Amino acid sequence: MATQSDAPPNSIHGKPLNPGSQVTEPTVDDGQNAKAEAKKESSPTSVFVNSEPIREEQVQNAVKFLSHPNVRGSPVIYRRSFLERKGLTKEEIDEAFRRVPDQTPAVTTTQPVATSQDGQIKAPSNIQQQAPIQTLQPAPAGSISKIGRFSRFHWSHALLAVGFLAVSGAGTAVFFKKAVIPRLKSWIRKVVLEEEGLQKKYKVKPSLAEEAAAAAKAAAAAAADVAQTSQEMLISKTEEKRCFEELISMINVQLREMKLMSNAIDKLEGRTHGRIPMEEQDDHRVSWTGLRQPYANGKVDADSRSVRSSSPSASVEPSVAPHPKSYMEIMAMIQRGEKPSNIREINDAPPNPNQPVPLPRLAPRAKPWEVGQVQSTLTNVIQSQESSNGVSHESKDNQLNGDDVVPWWQRKNVRITEIDTGDEQKFGSSNVVSNVRPVQRSWVPPQPPPVAMPEAAAAIRQPKKSLLQKDQLTDEQSLARSADVNDELQRITKLSESGGAMEVNGGSSGLNSSEIQKEEDNSHLEM
Amino acid sequence: MASSKELRERGTPFKIKLITTRSPPPNPNLRRDMPVFKTPFNGYSVKFSPFYESQLAVATSQNFGILGNGRLHVLQLNPTITEITSFDTADGVYDLCWSESHDSLLIAAVADGSLKIYDLSLPPTSNPIRSLHEHAREAHGVDFNTVRKDSFLSASWDDTVKLWTVDRPTSVRTFKEHAYCVYSAAWNPRHADVFASASGDCTVRIWDVREPGSTMILPAHEFEILSCDWNKYDDCIIATASVDKSIKVWDVRNYRVPVAVLNGHGYAVRKVKFSPHRMSAIASCSYDMTVCLWDYMVEDALIGRYDHHTEFAVGVDMSVLVEGLLASTGWDELVYVWQHGMDPRAP
Repeated sequence: MATQSDAPPNSIHGKPLNPGSQVTEPTVDDGQNAKAEAKKESSPTSVFVNSEPIREEQVQNAVKFLSHPNVRGSPVIYRRSFLERKGLTKEEIDEAFRRVPDQTPAVTTTQPVATSQDGQIKAPSNIQQQAPIQTLQPAPAGSISKIGRFSRFHWSHALLAVGFLAVSGAGTAVFFKKAVIPRLKSWIRKVVLEEEGLQKKYKVKPSLAEEAAAAAKAAAAAAADVAQTSQEMLISKTEEKRCFEELISMINVQLREMKLMSNAIDKLEGRTHGRIPMEEQDDHRVSWTGLRQPYANGKVDADSRSVRSSSPSASVEPSVAPHPKSYMEIMAMIQRGEKPSNIREINDAPPNPNQPVPLPRLAPRAKPWEVGQVQSTLTNVIQSQESSNGVSHESKDNQLNGDDVVPWWQRKNVRITEIDTGDEQKFGSSNVVSNVRPVQRSWVPPQPPPVAMPEAAAAIRQPKKSLLQKDQLTDEQSLARSADVNDELQRITKLSESGGAMEVNGGSSGLNSSEIQKEEDNSHLEM
Repeated sequence: MASSKELRERGTPFKIKLITTRSPPPNPNLRRDMPVFKTPFNGYSVKFSPFYESQLAVATSQNFGILGNGRLHVLQLNPTITEITSFDTADGVYDLCWSESHDSLLIAAVADGSLKIYDLSLPPTSNPIRSLHEHAREAHGVDFNTVRKDSFLSASWDDTVKLWTVDRPTSVRTFKEHAYCVYSAAWNPRHADVFASASGDCTVRIWDVREPGSTMILPAHEFEILSCDWNKYDDCIIATASVDKSIKVWDVRNYRVPVAVLNGHGYAVRKVKFSPHRMSAIASCSYDMTVCLWDYMVEDALIGRYDHHTEFAVGVDMSVLVEGLLASTGWDELVYVWQHGMDPRAP
């Protein structure tokens, strides 16, 4: 569209110029600029992309995690989420997932399991065969030396170990029988004889001491009872005190609540105009926190926000914010299955789903952080005016809204905008924009006013640049000052109108109005 | 409109205390008395209009948003806070955003998973003009693109983010990678195709709509992340607010370590918003019922604290058109609008 509008003027004014070459140049430039655009677009967005290389350590940790039998049963998304939370990048996670199925851990683990089972079966049968003790003693020693060899001799290892244990057990039993028990018996007999002797001695003076001991015991028991009962009394007293205190605090709380409600009512009635005394506010806050203590613990759902019936509650919060009383009441109601009574049936469906979206009455206002970019992007603004469709403001550098005065082209563009999905349109528009730029630069000097008019229009708004552009204009005016030119230009615009695929109303009307402006300008300059 | 030089000066960070003599030049459209507005339902979100200085909208839900209807209020600040109009919804409204291209369009994120588009230039009986219902679960956040001004995002508890345009009845794209609820999505203020999403799976993901999947994953917190927002003056800085009571500021170019960690809230931080006027100023609201103002480049980052709410403070916004104008709403069914440096409750 822009290119097509460019080509005809070339063919008319620049006769020696080959229109074909003119057309190819923009396309070549277009291709280069599309690439440049793509590069340009990718390099700023590369800030928002992971540029870290894959960390092998993290990948290996992830592989270990993913190989764990418990993890293998969980859904993939939770595995990914866990790794993401640990700080792994997408590439690292993908690499770990790629590596995990490659291992065959099952093959190596089955062999030792089988052999150990065999060893256990054989061992009991072997114990019966291994009667003599001494023959197996060198065998355990031999088994120790065989520890180095692993899988094959495992069963024999177990065999030998069990045999050794059995033998040693038998040996100690025999030893005990023969040597230790007679000694024990004699020692016991000694002790018993001594005791009998002692008892005969002590029978003489038992009575007094016994009585005294009995009396002391009784006294002690009585004292203990007394102490116990007094303690119980104390406990009950303190409990009573506590109950009373709680009651009082509850009453206080209720009092404050009532105060609050009355304040709220006052507010509603508009009496105080928000001027609630500070002390009350403090009290109020204290009372609210006092209220909420009991409910902090009562909260079942860990997630304090998502309190919908099927709400998510996976994570544990560091500390749950105490919820208002009525909130807990409503939650309890819902959990019981009751529905709060204040809900109405509302039909909020659109009455006319095909209602056309209205035209904006105001142009978008510049954002405070965008204003600084106005000066630098003036040329872009001008060039983007060439593109007649509304997608001119898709390019990052084009801060079209930096202009305070609402430009006519912007308004028209907003109306026109038909936003098709992504690539096709964006690519096409970026092509257009990139088309415009180099072409603009290459033919600004010799070109007649209609293309340059929007420049002048902008120039009038921006005093700095207007001087330069007005100079250009006068040159151009001198070159092409005739009614014929106007007619030709009108023809050109009509051609461009019919020829331009993406060109919609805005472009042609834009050009028309630029023509009008040009005529006005003509008259002005002529004067 | 101020010259660019003046705005650049405003962009440099400086510390101001709560009681300060410095105040922005009085805007003739706004009066100083800012009484509170009482909503019948619990407030969930408040947003200033990008077109009119004295207009803002509030999203509210009945019964704390657990179960009940919702209402979207459009308020006028002149001469006092009054309601221009309101729209009822069958389910609670969790968030709203104003269109950046049309001065009369509003988009509401409804708890039944739908997005409703309202047109203020039409009578209430013709509203909503669209109901976009694709999310399988509650729609929790909406954000409108400020660069290209043609599209908006919706963040939902069905773990997805969807991209929409006003004229299309179906979504343009669905971004499904999070493992848990997505609470918020925010467009980058300088790059038309880049946005960030904050999720309950404890990560923030950065996406480019031209790419098939997310381009960056920031494991920003150990707990659920409820909100994120980009720095308007530095397109690589992003702030995240989490259930762990902290706000962390990250630079995506070096995202392993946060630029700043802002502690001070007593409970989960529900919403975070970068100032449109000051480069390093952040406003936040929390379940500790306060709205705080921070300057993350300063050692002692907390520069203002407002505890006017008597319930969870759930929504906060800073006006793009009026410097220093803040609005907040909470479960106490009140909406406050005030100038930073003033007491929100004072007339």
